[in-house]
This record gives sequence, structure tokens and C-alpha cells, in this order.
Amino acid sequence: MNARILIPALALGATLLAGCGDKTPTLHFYTWADYIKPELVQRFEQEHGCRVIIDTFDSNEAMYAKLKAGATGYDLLNPSSYMVKLLKDQGLLQDLDRSLLPNLANIDPEYLRIAMDPEMKHSVPYMLTNTGIGYLASRVPDFDPSWGVFDRSDLRGRMTMLNDMRETLGGALKFLGYSLNSTNEYELAAARDVVIRWKKNLAKFENEQYKTGLASGEFTLVHGYNGDILQVMEANEDIAFAVPKEGTSISCDDLVIPTTAKEVAHAHAFINFLHKPDVAAENTEFIGYLCPNSAAYPLMSEEIRNDPSIFLAPEIKAKSEVIGDVGESLALYTKMWDQVKAAE
Amino acid sequence: MKRSVIPLLTTLFVLVFFYLPIVVLVVNSFNASRFGGTWEGSTLEWYRMLFRETSVWRALRNTLIIAVGATFASVVLGTTAAFALHRYHTRLQRLHYTLIYTPLVVPEILMGMSLLLFFVAAGFELGLFTIFLAHTTFCISYVAMVVLARLQDFDFSIIEAAQDLGAGWWTTAWRVLLPLLAPGLAAGGLLAFTLSIDDFVITFFVSGPGSTTLPVRIYSMIKHSKNMPMINALSAILLVVTFAAVWGSQRLTKESHA
Repeated sequence: MNARILIPALALGATLLAGCGDKTPTLHFYTWADYIKPELVQRFEQEHGCRVIIDTFDSNEAMYAKLKAGATGYDLLNPSSYMVKLLKDQGLLQDLDRSLLPNLANIDPEYLRIAMDPEMKHSVPYMLTNTGIGYLASRVPDFDPSWGVFDRSDLRGRMTMLNDMRETLGGALKFLGYSLNSTNEYELAAARDVVIRWKKNLAKFENEQYKTGLASGEFTLVHGYNGDILQVMEANEDIAFAVPKEGTSISCDDLVIPTTAKEVAHAHAFINFLHKPDVAAENTEFIGYLCPNSAAYPLMSEEIRNDPSIFLAPEIKAKSEVIGDVGESLALYTKMWDQVKAAE
Repeated sequence: MKRSVIPLLTTLFVLVFFYLPIVVLVVNSFNASRFGGTWEGSTLEWYRMLFRETSVWRALRNTLIIAVGATFASVVLGTTAAFALHRYHTRLQRLHYTLIYTPLVVPEILMGMSLLLFFVAAGFELGLFTIFLAHTTFCISYVAMVVLARLQDFDFSIIEAAQDLGAGWWTTAWRVLLPLLAPGLAAGGLLAFTLSIDDFVITFFVSGPGSTTLPVRIYSMIKHSKNMPMINALSAILLVVTFAAVWGSQRLTKESHA
């Protein structure tokens, strides 16, 4: 009886299917929203006669679950370093063809020294972030850039730390002078006790709202990512950012090509394009994170180059680390973190 | 007798509760501050940015194509399912009812994951079409339940009367059944449309390259984007369009009654 309705329905379905076919090569880039300057994408499209379609994910874990279940069609992914390792271990990534990537010679060797894939066999660093402390300069007298600031009882109830086991226990490990990738139970227990002590002074453990909370003055001091705090600095003049002198965590989003990629050559071309010095510099200016490309540094504006939250001071950089894989000890971290959460 | 002020207060409270967040959103779309915590002067910058940002419009287009398609398909299938469930009471129909009911209670993440595994196993290319299928799947249940409720107080003697008067099956369905069911169909359709437009979890799993929808894009913006207020601007525009459509349809129905 529904023939008249079914036919348009089928026609609609057919149109939806037909939308997929196209002749110009199309590169599918799976990344975070607004994580590349749109004009650069257009420039690549013109230079290489290739369309770039950007799709977005909202967490490394969700993206991993999706790929692991067998989703295909993406030519280039942009996961964080720790997720790159997991993707690689699961055999979801292909090795890069270095002959197609001459611009990798520009990558900052200082970063590669601490990177998880220093030879860039299957991943190329895209953007670096580091964690640090954002605070309201007028309401935090005698600020000392140290993790010890969370011991200040005069700021009680006005501070937040990240609700992230590795970041926050990592901060305490750094405070005690240990590696933030420590697998030593004694060191971890000491870090746990420090975080429990800090917890008494914290309003909460918080990953998102700390930005607005700092901008509106609800919090006076927060532990957070430099990119986030730089954004709120534009909104509130009083906000300042500092990297703790004991060192901090550096994390990186990498460019990787999945084994199922169809446009492998164009994916390489895109990675190479993103590491042209002028492109990397322009992209850094736009996003506000640092593309670790030595040849691009001189092309960046004074403002960016003199910003100690983007370019870490050498002595702090020497003490900072990438949050790495701790293998079996991850369970130990989880246990310590649970104890922190349960502590009164 | 003195009239109580309680109903008035309750109404006001409910209106504030429903509409205040929307007002805040619209106001913030003109706020120069990126975070909306404080008012920093009015700006049209977010609207300007929105009109330049083609990827947001592509996401909106994807969302609308899927919502219209899924609404249409689920209204047709959901209504026929409801009709079958109401008219026939066999053991098979009881199973049918359970099958229709299940998607309402299955957690979204489970449904998203299982649909993804199914599409991959069946060799479907992920994209708009798979999202359309997934949305239709869960929308059918909602439409069927709404229409079924409408059928509960439906007087089937009207159908018999129409047939007695010589109307064929098609005429009866088209001229008698459909107009009487129309409010239920409209309600089910609107429900399906809204569910499809704002679905994130299932969509995330079954979407493929080039089929990012608006909710998927907005969630991703939370991580790195500096342009969140652009979404306030887009929401404000969508609100205006929605209110205009509701106002227009109310006027039309009033005129047809007059």
C-alpha cells in the first residue's frame, strides 16, 4: 500500500549513497576540530589537486574504539602520542616512507630526544602542549612557579588540578624530583601522599571548567594546558601562566597513516606540507600550540617566540618529560589515584 | 472567590526554567568574550566567523539531510509497525513489540558499537547512508510508540463505515486513516527529527569519512577550538528558523480551521 511513499524513500537512500562517488582524489583527515588553519588546507588543495575532507573526533579513546571496530576510509589521523603507541601495537598504523617526507629534517631534534617515536618510523609530531599553572596575578601574591604552590593554604578552595591521573600524580612526582614516568612503588606512594595533602587546598579536580572559572575569578589558580590558559588570557588581562620550575609534562599530537588508508601518497604529501617552515609557523600562530619545527621558529612572531609558556625555558625543558607508556605499572597509578580520590 | 497566584507563579517558573538558558545562549552569541563568563561588549564577530566557516555549514547540511531522511523513513516504517501491533495480536506480534521496544532501552553506546560492527561486517561503506540507517533504526521505535498511543483511542468503526460506503483500501488509508492519524504522525515525526538532529553517540560510531555531523563537530571543538561562541551564533540562527517555522505552521493551521 505504501508504494508511493517507498519509492521516494528508496530514491533518497540512493541519493545518499551516490554522494560518495567523486573523481578528484580526496584525502580524509581525521583530527580535532579547528586544529589546522583553514587557509592552509585550501593552499594544499590547490598545490596538489587533491580535496581534503576533515572529520573530527572528541577523544583519543573514542577514535581508537571506532578504528579498532573496523571503521575505515581515513587517510591521516591526529592522535596524541600515547594513543599512537596503542594504535601501533594493535597493528593499525603503517610505516612512513621517509623519501616522501624531506621536510622532516626540520623537526626540532630537542623534542625528538624525548619523543616516543624519535626515529619517526610511523609518526610525525604535529603540535606540542605542556601543562602548567594559570593564575590571577592580582590575587596570588608572591607567586612562586613551583608545584609547591598547591600547598598554599591561603588559596584554599580557590585552586583546581587536572582530573587526570597521569598529569596530577606526574606533577607531584616532579615536585619530589622523580620522573613523571616513574614505576617505583615507593616514589608513587610518596607522590600520592603529596596529592592527598594538596587535595585539602583544592576546590576540585577539573578538566574543562577551569578555563571559565579562572576567567570569571571563581578560581584563582589552576593546573591546566597552556593552550587553554593562553585562550583565557586573551579574555582576562589579569591571568598569567607559569611552568613549574621542577619541570612539567609535554604532550604531543602526532600525524599517522592508518594501514587502511587509500590515499597514502597524498597523506605523505600532507605531512610534508605541514612541516614546510612557513606553513608550520603560520599554523602555530593560528592554533597557539607549538609545531616542533626548528626551521619554522625564526618565522614566528616575536610574541610567540618570547612566550615562555609556548617556548619553555631551556632549564625547565631539560627537566620536562613526555607522558609515556608505563606498561604494567599503569595499575599502580590507578590504585594510587583511586586512593587520592577516596581520601578525605 | 479569590484566584490563587500559585498557577501563575508556577507558569512563570517553568517558562524561566525552559527559556532562560536559551536567552543566555542568544545573548552570548553577541558577547565579545570567548568564554561568556562576563559581558565584554557586543560583537557580530561570531556571526561573521560562522559565515566564513564552510566546515560548520557542511556539518549542518549533513545533519539536516540525515534528519529529514531518517524522519521520513521512520514515520513510514514506524506507523506501519504501530498499525500491525495494534490490529493483530498473535505471538509473533508480541515478539515484534519487544523488538520495537528494545531500542528505547538499549544504551546508546551499545547500539552505536553494535551497529558499527554490523556495518563493518556487512561491508557497508561508512558515511551518510549508514548514519541514516542507524537513525532510522532508533527513530522507528519512538514513532511507533507515539502512533500506537494515538491508535489506542482510534475508532475503527470509521474504517468499516468508509469501506461500507464503497471506499477501497487505498482510499480508506489515504482519505480516512491518514488524516485522523495526522497529529500522531506529526508528533512522532517531530520527535524523530529532534532525536536525529542531536544524536552524538551513535552517530560518532557509524559516521564515515566526510560525514561529520554538527553534534560530532561541536563535541570535538571542546578540546582545541577557540571558536565555541560561533556555535552560539549558529544556535541562535537555528532558533530563529525554528520559531519562525512553528509560528508559520500555527498560522496556517488557524487559517485552515477558520
